[in-house]
Amino acid sequence: MAKIIVVTSGKGGVGKTTSTAAIGAGLALRGHKTVVIDFDVGLRNLDMIMGCERRVVFDFINVIQGDAKLKQALIKDRRLDNLSILPTSQTRDKDALTRDGVEQVLTELREEFDYVICDSPAGIERGAHLAMYFADEAVVVTNPEVSSVRDSDRVLGLLSSKTYRAEKGEAAVKPHLLLTRYDPQRVSRGEMMKVEDILEILAIPLLGIIPESPTVLRASNVGTPVVLDPKSIAGKAYEDAVSRLIGEQLETRVRPMERPGLFQRLLRRTA
Amino acid sequence: MSGQRIGSRVQSLSAKGERAAASTTVMPFQIRGRSFTAVVLELAGAADQAFYAALDALLQQAPHFFTNAPFVIDLDKAASLQLNGDFTRLVRELRGRKLSVIGVQNGSMGQNAAALGAGLIALQGGRDVPAERDGGRGSAAASTPEPAPATLLITEPVRSGQRIFADRGDLVVVNSVSSGAELIAQGSIHVYGRLRGRALAGVNGDKTARIFCQSLEAELVAIAGLYRTSDDLGPAVRQQRVQAFLRDERLCLEPLK
Repeated sequence: MAKIIVVTSGKGGVGKTTSTAAIGAGLALRGHKTVVIDFDVGLRNLDMIMGCERRVVFDFINVIQGDAKLKQALIKDRRLDNLSILPTSQTRDKDALTRDGVEQVLTELREEFDYVICDSPAGIERGAHLAMYFADEAVVVTNPEVSSVRDSDRVLGLLSSKTYRAEKGEAAVKPHLLLTRYDPQRVSRGEMMKVEDILEILAIPLLGIIPESPTVLRASNVGTPVVLDPKSIAGKAYEDAVSRLIGEQLETRVRPMERPGLFQRLLRRTA
Repeated sequence: MSGQRIGSRVQSLSAKGERAAASTTVMPFQIRGRSFTAVVLELAGAADQAFYAALDALLQQAPHFFTNAPFVIDLDKAASLQLNGDFTRLVRELRGRKLSVIGVQNGSMGQNAAALGAGLIALQGGRDVPAERDGGRGSAAASTPEPAPATLLITEPVRSGQRIFADRGDLVVVNSVSSGAELIAQGSIHVYGRLRGRALAGVNGDKTARIFCQSLEAELVAIAGLYRTSDDLGPAVRQQRVQAFLRDERLCLEPLK
Protein backbone atom coordinates (compact mmCIF):
# COMPACT_ATOMS: atom_id res chain seq x y z
CA MET A 1 0.00 0.00 0.00
CA ALA A 2 1.53 3.29 -1.02
CA LYS A 3 2.24 6.22 1.22
CA ILE A 4 0.59 9.50 0.25
CA ILE A 5 2.78 12.43 1.15
CA VAL A 6 1.62 16.02 0.71
CA VAL A 7 4.15 18.81 0.27
CA THR A 8 2.46 21.88 1.65
CA SER A 9 3.31 25.18 3.29
CA GLY A 10 0.53 27.76 3.40
CA LYS A 11 2.88 30.48 2.23
CA GLY A 12 3.61 30.75 -1.47
CA GLY A 13 7.01 30.67 -3.08
CA VAL A 14 8.85 28.79 -0.33
CA GLY A 15 9.87 25.79 -2.41
CA LYS A 16 7.00 23.30 -2.49
CA THR A 17 7.26 22.42 -6.16
CA THR A 18 11.06 22.33 -6.06
CA SER A 19 10.89 20.06 -3.03
CA THR A 20 8.24 17.82 -4.58
CA ALA A 21 10.42 17.31 -7.63
CA ALA A 22 13.54 16.75 -5.55
CA ILE A 23 11.90 14.35 -3.11
CA GLY A 24 10.16 12.47 -5.88
CA ALA A 25 13.39 12.08 -7.82
CA GLY A 26 15.30 11.19 -4.65
CA LEU A 27 12.88 8.39 -3.84
CA ALA A 28 12.97 7.10 -7.40
CA LEU A 29 16.78 7.06 -7.31
CA ARG A 30 16.56 4.70 -4.38
CA GLY A 31 14.41 2.28 -6.29
CA HIS A 32 10.93 3.23 -5.05
CA LYS A 33 8.17 3.58 -7.64
CA THR A 34 7.10 7.19 -7.21
CA VAL A 35 4.51 9.47 -8.75
CA VAL A 36 4.34 13.24 -8.26
CA ILE A 37 0.97 14.99 -8.71
CA ASP A 38 0.43 18.68 -9.35
CA PHE A 39 -2.56 20.02 -7.39
CA ASP A 40 -2.03 23.64 -8.43
CA VAL A 41 -4.80 23.75 -11.01
CA GLY A 42 -4.55 26.77 -13.25
CA LEU A 43 -1.04 27.70 -12.12
CA ARG A 44 0.78 24.50 -12.85
CA ASN A 45 4.53 24.40 -12.43
CA LEU A 46 5.44 20.84 -11.59
CA ASP A 47 5.54 19.80 -15.23
CA MET A 48 8.05 22.57 -16.00
CA ILE A 49 10.27 21.79 -13.02
CA MET A 50 10.30 18.14 -14.07
CA GLY A 51 11.05 19.07 -17.66
CA CYS A 52 8.03 17.38 -19.23
CA GLU A 53 5.86 20.35 -20.16
CA ARG A 54 6.09 19.52 -23.84
CA ARG A 55 4.69 16.06 -23.34
CA VAL A 56 1.47 16.93 -21.54
CA VAL A 57 -1.55 15.61 -23.41
CA PHE A 58 -4.07 14.70 -20.72
CA ASP A 59 -4.03 15.96 -17.16
CA PHE A 60 -5.36 15.37 -13.64
CA ILE A 61 -8.62 17.22 -14.34
CA ASN A 62 -9.23 15.18 -17.49
CA VAL A 63 -8.91 12.02 -15.42
CA ILE A 64 -11.22 13.31 -12.66
CA GLN A 65 -13.85 14.22 -15.21
CA GLY A 66 -13.56 10.90 -16.99
CA ASP A 67 -12.25 12.34 -20.25
CA ALA A 68 -9.10 10.26 -20.06
CA LYS A 69 -7.71 7.23 -18.31
CA LEU A 70 -5.03 7.62 -15.67
CA LYS A 71 -2.55 5.74 -17.87
CA GLN A 72 -3.02 8.31 -20.63
CA ALA A 73 -2.32 11.23 -18.33
CA LEU A 74 0.70 9.82 -16.49
CA ILE A 75 4.04 10.86 -17.96
CA LYS A 76 7.07 8.72 -17.37
CA ASP A 77 10.24 10.62 -16.52
CA ARG A 78 12.92 10.17 -19.18
CA ARG A 79 15.78 10.05 -16.74
CA LEU A 80 14.43 7.83 -13.98
CA ASP A 81 12.44 4.67 -14.65
CA ASN A 82 10.69 4.70 -11.30
CA LEU A 83 9.36 8.23 -11.57
CA SER A 84 6.09 9.37 -13.11
CA ILE A 85 4.34 12.72 -13.21
CA LEU A 86 0.62 13.50 -13.21
CA PRO A 87 0.35 17.07 -14.43
CA THR A 88 -2.68 19.27 -13.93
CA SER A 89 -4.69 21.59 -16.11
CA GLN A 90 -3.53 25.09 -16.90
CA THR A 91 -6.83 26.24 -18.37
CA ARG A 92 -9.12 25.28 -15.51
CA ASP A 93 -9.01 26.33 -11.88
CA LYS A 94 -9.26 24.69 -8.48
CA ASP A 95 -13.04 24.45 -8.56
CA ALA A 96 -12.58 21.61 -11.03
CA LEU A 97 -11.17 19.43 -8.27
CA THR A 98 -13.70 17.27 -6.44
CA ARG A 99 -13.11 15.20 -3.36
CA ASP A 100 -14.51 12.03 -4.93
CA GLY A 101 -12.46 12.55 -8.07
CA VAL A 102 -9.29 13.05 -6.10
CA GLU A 103 -10.05 10.00 -3.97
CA GLN A 104 -10.56 7.82 -7.04
CA VAL A 105 -7.32 8.91 -8.67
CA LEU A 106 -5.31 8.46 -5.47
CA THR A 107 -6.80 5.01 -4.87
CA GLU A 108 -5.79 3.94 -8.37
CA LEU A 109 -2.30 5.39 -7.96
CA ARG A 110 -1.84 3.68 -4.62
CA GLU A 111 -2.10 0.29 -6.30
CA GLU A 112 0.71 0.95 -8.71
CA PHE A 113 3.22 3.09 -6.80
CA ASP A 114 5.15 3.02 -3.51
CA TYR A 115 5.05 6.74 -2.93
CA VAL A 116 2.49 9.31 -4.08
CA ILE A 117 3.75 12.86 -3.60
CA CYS A 118 1.13 15.63 -3.83
CA ASP A 119 2.40 19.10 -4.69
CA SER A 120 0.00 21.42 -2.90
CA PRO A 121 -0.79 24.93 -4.12
CA ALA A 122 -0.22 27.83 -1.74
CA GLY A 123 -3.05 28.93 0.54
CA ILE A 124 -5.55 27.05 2.64
CA GLU A 125 -8.55 26.90 0.33
CA ARG A 126 -9.89 24.16 -1.89
CA GLY A 127 -6.75 23.19 -3.79
CA ALA A 128 -4.56 23.00 -0.70
CA HIS A 129 -7.32 21.35 1.27
CA LEU A 130 -7.81 18.56 -1.26
CA ALA A 131 -4.07 18.05 -1.66
CA MET A 132 -3.72 17.33 2.06
CA TYR A 133 -7.04 15.62 2.66
CA PHE A 134 -5.98 12.05 1.92
CA ALA A 135 -2.37 12.32 3.05
CA ASP A 136 -0.61 9.89 5.36
CA GLU A 137 2.36 12.17 5.91
CA ALA A 138 3.05 15.83 5.28
CA VAL A 139 6.22 17.71 4.43
CA VAL A 140 5.71 21.27 5.64
CA VAL A 141 8.03 23.51 3.67
CA THR A 142 9.07 26.62 5.59
CA ASN A 143 11.44 29.49 4.99
CA PRO A 144 13.28 30.73 8.07
CA GLU A 145 11.26 33.92 8.34
CA VAL A 146 8.28 34.97 10.45
CA SER A 147 5.45 35.01 7.94
CA SER A 148 6.37 31.61 6.55
CA VAL A 149 6.55 30.14 10.06
CA ARG A 150 3.16 31.52 10.97
CA ASP A 151 1.57 30.20 7.79
CA SER A 152 3.15 26.79 8.36
CA ASP A 153 1.73 26.80 11.85
CA ARG A 154 -1.72 27.44 10.41
CA VAL A 155 -1.28 24.57 7.98
CA LEU A 156 -0.25 22.26 10.82
CA GLY A 157 -3.50 23.11 12.54
CA LEU A 158 -5.42 22.18 9.40
CA LEU A 159 -3.49 18.93 9.00
CA SER A 160 -4.58 17.88 12.45
CA SER A 161 -8.22 18.76 11.95
CA LYS A 162 -9.31 18.93 8.30
CA THR A 163 -7.98 15.70 6.88
CA TYR A 164 -9.52 12.29 6.34
CA ARG A 165 -7.42 10.81 9.12
CA ALA A 166 -8.43 13.52 11.58
CA GLU A 167 -12.10 13.28 10.71
CA LYS A 168 -12.20 9.50 11.01
CA GLY A 169 -10.16 9.45 14.20
CA GLU A 170 -7.31 7.46 12.64
CA ALA A 171 -3.61 7.96 13.40
CA ALA A 172 -2.72 11.58 12.72
CA VAL A 173 -1.02 12.75 9.55
CA LYS A 174 2.70 12.57 10.31
CA PRO A 175 4.23 16.02 9.85
CA HIS A 176 7.84 16.74 8.83
CA LEU A 177 9.50 20.14 8.76
CA LEU A 178 11.58 20.99 5.72
CA LEU A 179 13.46 24.27 6.06
CA THR A 180 14.31 25.73 2.66
CA ARG A 181 16.28 28.69 1.38
CA TYR A 182 18.34 28.60 4.55
CA ASP A 183 21.22 31.08 4.52
CA PRO A 184 23.58 30.54 7.49
CA GLN A 185 25.18 33.94 7.10
CA ARG A 186 21.88 35.75 7.31
CA VAL A 187 20.95 33.65 10.31
CA SER A 188 24.14 34.64 12.11
CA ARG A 189 23.43 38.28 11.30
CA GLY A 190 20.03 37.88 12.88
CA GLU A 191 18.09 38.52 9.68
CA MET A 192 16.74 35.00 9.41
CA MET A 193 15.22 32.90 12.16
CA LYS A 194 17.32 30.23 13.84
CA VAL A 195 16.46 26.57 13.51
CA GLU A 196 15.88 26.22 17.26
CA ASP A 197 13.40 29.10 17.30
CA ILE A 198 11.47 27.66 14.39
CA LEU A 199 11.36 24.22 15.99
CA GLU A 200 10.17 25.77 19.24
CA ILE A 201 7.23 27.38 17.49
CA LEU A 202 6.29 24.55 15.15
CA ALA A 203 7.26 21.60 17.36
CA ILE A 204 7.43 18.94 14.65
CA PRO A 205 10.35 16.70 13.63
CA LEU A 206 12.92 18.29 11.34
CA LEU A 207 13.26 16.52 8.00
CA GLY A 208 16.05 18.62 6.60
CA ILE A 209 17.59 22.02 6.02
CA ILE A 210 18.01 22.99 2.37
CA PRO A 211 20.47 25.84 1.92
CA GLU A 212 19.84 28.75 -0.41
CA SER A 213 21.60 27.89 -3.65
CA PRO A 214 21.76 29.27 -7.19
CA THR A 215 21.68 25.71 -8.46
CA VAL A 216 17.96 25.54 -7.66
CA LEU A 217 17.08 28.22 -10.19
CA ARG A 218 19.40 26.68 -12.76
CA ALA A 219 17.78 23.30 -12.25
CA SER A 220 14.27 24.64 -12.71
CA ASN A 221 15.36 26.55 -15.82
CA VAL A 222 16.47 23.35 -17.49
CA GLY A 223 13.66 21.26 -16.08
CA THR A 224 15.70 18.93 -13.89
CA PRO A 225 15.01 18.12 -10.26
CA VAL A 226 17.88 19.70 -8.31
CA VAL A 227 18.71 16.39 -6.67
CA LEU A 228 20.05 15.18 -10.01
CA ASP A 229 22.70 17.91 -10.05
CA PRO A 230 25.76 16.28 -8.46
CA LYS A 231 27.42 19.61 -7.66
CA SER A 232 24.52 21.16 -5.84
CA ILE A 233 24.59 21.46 -2.05
CA ALA A 234 20.84 21.85 -2.13
CA GLY A 235 20.62 18.58 -4.02
CA LYS A 236 22.72 16.82 -1.38
CA ALA A 237 20.57 18.27 1.37
CA TYR A 238 17.48 16.93 -0.40
CA GLU A 239 19.11 13.50 -0.56
CA ASP A 240 19.60 13.60 3.21
CA ALA A 241 16.00 14.66 3.63
CA VAL A 242 14.81 11.74 1.54
CA SER A 243 16.87 9.37 3.68
CA ARG A 244 15.17 10.63 6.78
CA LEU A 245 11.80 10.46 5.10
CA ILE A 246 12.17 6.74 4.44
CA GLY A 247 13.27 6.17 8.01
CA GLU A 248 17.03 6.33 8.05
CA GLN A 249 18.52 8.24 10.97
CA LEU A 250 20.80 11.01 9.86
CA GLU A 251 22.29 13.91 11.74
CA THR A 252 21.15 17.27 10.47
CA ARG A 253 24.02 19.35 9.27
CA VAL A 254 23.94 22.66 7.59
CA ARG A 255 26.43 22.67 4.76
CA PRO A 256 28.15 26.05 4.62
CA MET A 257 27.78 28.05 1.48
CA GLU A 258 30.96 28.31 -0.53
CA ARG A 259 32.80 31.32 0.77
CA PRO A 260 34.28 33.32 -2.06
CA GLY A 261 38.07 33.30 -1.99
CA LEU A 262 40.16 36.46 -1.42
CA PHE A 263 40.65 37.02 -5.14
CA GLN A 264 36.96 36.75 -5.89
CA ARG A 265 36.11 39.13 -3.08
CA LEU A 266 38.56 41.66 -4.46
CA LEU A 267 37.05 41.32 -7.90
CA ARG A 268 33.59 41.95 -6.51
CA ARG A 269 34.79 45.08 -4.75
CA THR A 270 36.25 46.66 -7.82
CA ALA A 271 33.44 45.65 -10.14
CA MET B 1 -23.26 40.13 21.07
CA SER B 2 -20.03 40.87 22.82
CA GLY B 3 -18.15 44.08 22.53
CA GLN B 4 -15.05 45.33 24.17
CA ARG B 5 -14.89 47.63 27.06
CA ILE B 6 -12.65 50.65 26.75
CA GLY B 7 -10.76 50.66 30.01
CA SER B 8 -10.50 53.94 31.79
CA ARG B 9 -6.74 54.01 31.59
CA VAL B 10 -5.04 56.88 29.93
CA GLN B 11 -1.42 56.40 28.96
CA SER B 12 0.80 59.43 28.84
CA LEU B 13 4.31 59.81 27.54
CA SER B 14 6.68 61.24 30.09
CA ALA B 15 9.67 63.39 29.22
CA LYS B 16 11.93 60.33 28.98
CA GLY B 17 9.58 58.73 26.52
CA GLU B 18 8.50 55.99 28.92
CA ARG B 19 4.89 55.08 29.13
CA ALA B 20 3.34 55.76 32.54
CA ALA B 21 -0.11 54.42 33.18
CA ALA B 22 -2.30 56.90 34.98
CA SER B 23 -5.89 56.02 35.63
CA THR B 24 -8.26 58.89 35.22
CA THR B 25 -11.99 58.74 34.78
CA VAL B 26 -12.63 61.55 32.37
CA MET B 27 -15.34 59.93 30.26
CA PRO B 28 -18.98 60.68 31.12
CA PHE B 29 -20.05 57.24 29.91
CA GLN B 30 -18.77 53.68 29.64
CA ILE B 31 -19.17 51.26 26.82
CA ARG B 32 -19.32 47.55 27.47
CA GLY B 33 -20.57 44.46 25.78
CA ARG B 34 -23.52 42.53 27.07
CA SER B 35 -25.55 39.73 25.54
CA PHE B 36 -29.30 39.54 25.58
CA THR B 37 -31.49 36.84 24.10
CA ALA B 38 -33.65 38.06 21.23
CA VAL B 39 -36.77 36.41 19.89
CA VAL B 40 -36.49 35.50 16.22
CA LEU B 41 -39.63 35.34 14.12
CA GLU B 42 -39.09 33.47 10.86
CA LEU B 43 -41.49 34.83 8.29
CA ALA B 44 -42.70 32.00 6.07
CA GLY B 45 -43.97 34.21 3.25
CA ALA B 46 -45.46 37.66 2.94
CA ALA B 47 -46.33 39.96 5.84
CA ASP B 48 -49.97 39.86 4.78
CA GLN B 49 -53.37 39.72 6.48
CA ALA B 50 -52.97 36.00 7.21
CA PHE B 51 -49.66 36.66 8.95
CA TYR B 52 -51.06 39.41 11.18
CA ALA B 53 -54.15 37.34 11.93
CA ALA B 54 -51.99 34.40 13.05
CA LEU B 55 -49.81 36.75 15.07
CA ASP B 56 -52.86 38.25 16.78
CA ALA B 57 -54.08 34.75 17.60
CA LEU B 58 -50.74 33.87 19.22
CA LEU B 59 -50.72 37.12 21.20
CA GLN B 60 -54.22 36.44 22.49
CA GLN B 61 -53.14 33.04 23.80
CA ALA B 62 -49.90 34.22 25.39
CA PRO B 63 -50.08 37.97 25.81
CA HIS B 64 -46.87 38.21 27.83
CA PHE B 65 -44.78 35.95 25.62
CA PHE B 66 -43.00 38.80 23.87
CA THR B 67 -43.14 41.46 26.55
CA ASN B 68 -39.89 43.45 26.62
CA ALA B 69 -38.21 40.96 24.31
CA PRO B 70 -35.98 42.40 21.58
CA PHE B 71 -37.55 41.13 18.40
CA VAL B 72 -35.71 40.08 15.23
CA ILE B 73 -37.32 39.19 11.91
CA ASP B 74 -35.72 36.40 9.87
CA LEU B 75 -36.00 37.29 6.18
CA ASP B 76 -34.70 34.00 4.76
CA LYS B 77 -38.10 33.08 3.26
CA ALA B 78 -39.55 36.57 3.09
CA ALA B 79 -38.56 37.72 -0.35
CA SER B 80 -41.70 39.80 -0.64
CA LEU B 81 -40.32 42.33 1.81
CA GLN B 82 -38.04 44.46 -0.31
CA LEU B 83 -38.89 48.14 -0.15
CA ASN B 84 -38.40 50.68 2.55
CA GLY B 85 -42.18 51.03 2.69
CA ASP B 86 -42.61 47.30 3.37
CA PHE B 87 -40.38 47.52 6.41
CA THR B 88 -41.84 50.75 7.70
CA ARG B 89 -45.28 49.19 7.54
CA LEU B 90 -44.04 46.04 9.30
CA VAL B 91 -42.43 48.04 12.10
CA ARG B 92 -45.57 50.10 12.57
CA GLU B 93 -47.82 47.02 12.70
CA LEU B 94 -45.54 45.15 15.11
CA ARG B 95 -44.94 48.07 17.40
CA GLY B 96 -48.68 48.73 17.39
CA ARG B 97 -48.99 45.28 18.90
CA LYS B 98 -46.38 46.20 21.54
CA LEU B 99 -43.67 44.06 19.92
CA SER B 100 -40.26 45.73 20.15
CA VAL B 101 -38.75 44.86 16.80
CA ILE B 102 -35.10 45.94 16.67
CA GLY B 103 -33.63 44.25 13.62
CA VAL B 104 -33.58 41.65 10.87
CA GLN B 105 -31.39 38.66 10.01
CA ASN B 106 -30.64 36.55 6.90
CA GLY B 107 -31.79 39.29 4.57
CA SER B 108 -30.32 40.17 1.17
CA MET B 109 -28.26 43.31 0.80
CA GLY B 110 -31.25 45.15 -0.63
CA GLN B 111 -33.48 44.02 2.18
CA ASN B 112 -30.90 45.06 4.79
CA ALA B 113 -30.65 48.52 3.26
CA ALA B 114 -34.43 48.92 3.21
CA ALA B 115 -34.67 47.66 6.80
CA LEU B 116 -32.02 50.18 7.84
CA GLY B 117 -34.14 52.92 6.33
CA ALA B 118 -36.99 51.82 8.58
CA GLY B 119 -34.82 52.05 11.67
CA LEU B 120 -33.94 48.35 11.95
CA ILE B 121 -30.45 46.84 12.09
CA ALA B 122 -29.18 43.87 10.11
CA LEU B 123 -27.82 41.33 12.59
CA GLN B 124 -25.16 38.74 11.83
CA GLY B 125 -24.24 35.59 13.66
CA GLY B 126 -26.08 34.72 16.82
CA ARG B 127 -26.60 31.40 18.56
CA ASP B 128 -29.83 29.52 19.22
CA VAL B 129 -30.95 29.38 22.84
CA PRO B 130 -34.14 27.81 24.24
CA ALA B 131 -36.89 30.43 24.27
CA GLU B 132 -38.06 31.09 27.82
CA ARG B 133 -41.67 31.82 28.63
CA ASP B 134 -42.87 33.55 31.76
CA GLY B 135 -46.49 33.06 32.76
CA GLY B 136 -47.22 31.20 29.54
CA ARG B 137 -49.37 28.19 28.92
CA GLY B 138 -49.61 25.35 31.40
CA SER B 139 -47.57 23.00 29.27
CA ALA B 140 -44.62 25.35 29.09
CA ALA B 141 -41.35 23.54 28.58
CA ALA B 142 -39.43 23.15 31.82
CA SER B 143 -36.36 25.33 31.79
CA THR B 144 -33.29 23.26 31.09
CA PRO B 145 -30.98 23.11 34.08
CA GLU B 146 -27.59 24.76 33.79
CA PRO B 147 -25.13 22.23 32.38
CA ALA B 148 -22.62 21.02 34.97
CA PRO B 149 -19.35 22.94 34.83
CA ALA B 150 -16.51 21.09 33.18
CA THR B 151 -12.92 21.90 32.33
CA LEU B 152 -11.72 21.61 28.77
CA LEU B 153 -8.23 20.10 28.58
CA ILE B 154 -6.03 20.54 25.52
CA THR B 155 -2.67 18.75 25.29
CA GLU B 156 -1.68 19.42 21.68
CA PRO B 157 -0.18 22.75 20.62
CA VAL B 158 -2.85 25.26 19.70
CA ARG B 159 -1.96 26.27 16.16
CA SER B 160 -2.35 29.63 14.49
CA GLY B 161 -5.93 30.16 13.32
CA GLN B 162 -7.42 27.61 15.72
CA ARG B 163 -10.08 28.74 18.09
CA ILE B 164 -10.74 26.80 21.31
CA PHE B 165 -13.95 27.61 23.16
CA ALA B 166 -14.56 26.27 26.68
CA ASP B 167 -18.22 27.04 27.16
CA ARG B 168 -18.70 25.24 30.45
CA GLY B 169 -15.90 26.38 32.65
CA ASP B 170 -12.15 26.58 32.60
CA LEU B 171 -9.73 25.95 29.77
CA VAL B 172 -6.41 24.24 30.42
CA VAL B 173 -3.74 23.98 27.72
CA VAL B 174 -0.76 21.79 28.52
CA ASN B 175 1.31 23.06 25.61
CA SER B 176 1.99 26.33 23.85
CA VAL B 177 -0.43 28.58 22.06
CA SER B 178 0.72 29.98 18.73
CA SER B 179 0.42 33.52 17.50
CA GLY B 180 -2.89 33.91 15.69
CA ALA B 181 -4.70 31.32 17.86
CA GLU B 182 -7.65 32.15 20.11
CA LEU B 183 -8.57 30.74 23.51
CA ILE B 184 -12.05 31.61 24.75
CA ALA B 185 -13.47 30.41 28.06
CA GLN B 186 -16.44 31.00 30.25
CA GLY B 187 -14.16 30.51 33.25
CA SER B 188 -10.41 30.85 33.67
CA ILE B 189 -7.65 30.04 31.22
CA HIS B 190 -4.49 28.18 32.22
CA VAL B 191 -1.63 27.80 29.74
CA TYR B 192 1.25 25.55 30.80
CA GLY B 193 3.40 26.87 28.00
CA ARG B 194 3.88 30.03 25.98
CA LEU B 195 0.80 32.12 25.39
CA ARG B 196 1.30 33.88 22.08
CA GLY B 197 -2.22 34.26 20.72
CA ARG B 198 -5.34 35.78 22.24
CA ALA B 199 -6.90 34.69 25.52
CA LEU B 200 -10.41 35.78 26.50
CA ALA B 201 -11.59 34.54 29.89
CA GLY B 202 -14.92 35.06 31.63
CA VAL B 203 -16.66 35.74 28.33
CA ASN B 204 -20.11 35.39 29.85
CA GLY B 205 -19.37 38.13 32.34
CA ASP B 206 -17.53 36.22 35.07
CA LYS B 207 -15.33 38.87 36.58
CA THR B 208 -13.58 36.39 38.87
CA ALA B 209 -12.05 34.56 35.93
CA ARG B 210 -8.27 34.67 35.62
CA ILE B 211 -5.66 33.92 33.01
CA PHE B 212 -2.47 32.07 33.94
CA CYS B 213 0.47 31.32 31.68
CA GLN B 214 4.13 30.34 31.85
CA SER B 215 5.28 32.93 29.36
CA LEU B 216 3.18 35.93 28.49
CA GLU B 217 3.68 36.83 24.84
CA ALA B 218 0.02 37.25 24.07
CA GLU B 219 -1.45 39.46 21.39
CA LEU B 220 -4.45 40.22 23.56
CA VAL B 221 -5.74 39.21 27.01
CA ALA B 222 -9.26 39.93 28.15
CA ILE B 223 -11.38 39.13 31.19
CA ALA B 224 -15.13 39.73 31.10
CA GLY B 225 -14.77 42.19 28.24
CA LEU B 226 -11.88 44.25 29.61
CA TYR B 227 -8.83 43.80 27.43
CA ARG B 228 -5.19 44.74 27.01
CA THR B 229 -3.18 44.27 23.85
CA SER B 230 0.43 43.29 23.36
CA ASP B 231 1.41 46.97 23.27
CA ASP B 232 0.06 47.52 26.76
CA LEU B 233 1.71 44.58 28.47
CA GLY B 234 4.81 46.32 29.68
CA PRO B 235 8.34 44.93 30.19
CA ALA B 236 7.70 43.71 33.73
CA VAL B 237 5.39 40.93 32.61
CA ARG B 238 6.48 40.18 29.05
CA GLN B 239 7.67 36.57 28.71
CA GLN B 240 7.22 36.03 32.44
CA ARG B 241 5.00 33.61 34.36
CA VAL B 242 1.98 35.79 34.85
CA GLN B 243 -1.56 35.81 36.12
CA ALA B 244 -4.15 38.27 34.87
CA PHE B 245 -7.20 39.24 36.90
CA LEU B 246 -9.69 42.03 37.41
CA ARG B 247 -9.36 44.34 40.35
CA ASP B 248 -11.48 47.47 40.70
CA GLU B 249 -12.63 47.23 37.10
CA ARG B 250 -9.05 47.18 35.83
CA LEU B 251 -7.20 44.33 34.19
CA CYS B 252 -4.09 43.65 36.28
CA LEU B 253 -1.11 41.57 35.25
CA GLU B 254 1.17 40.25 37.94
CA PRO B 255 4.17 37.94 37.73
CA LEU B 256 3.76 34.64 39.55
CA LYS B 257 6.48 33.82 42.06
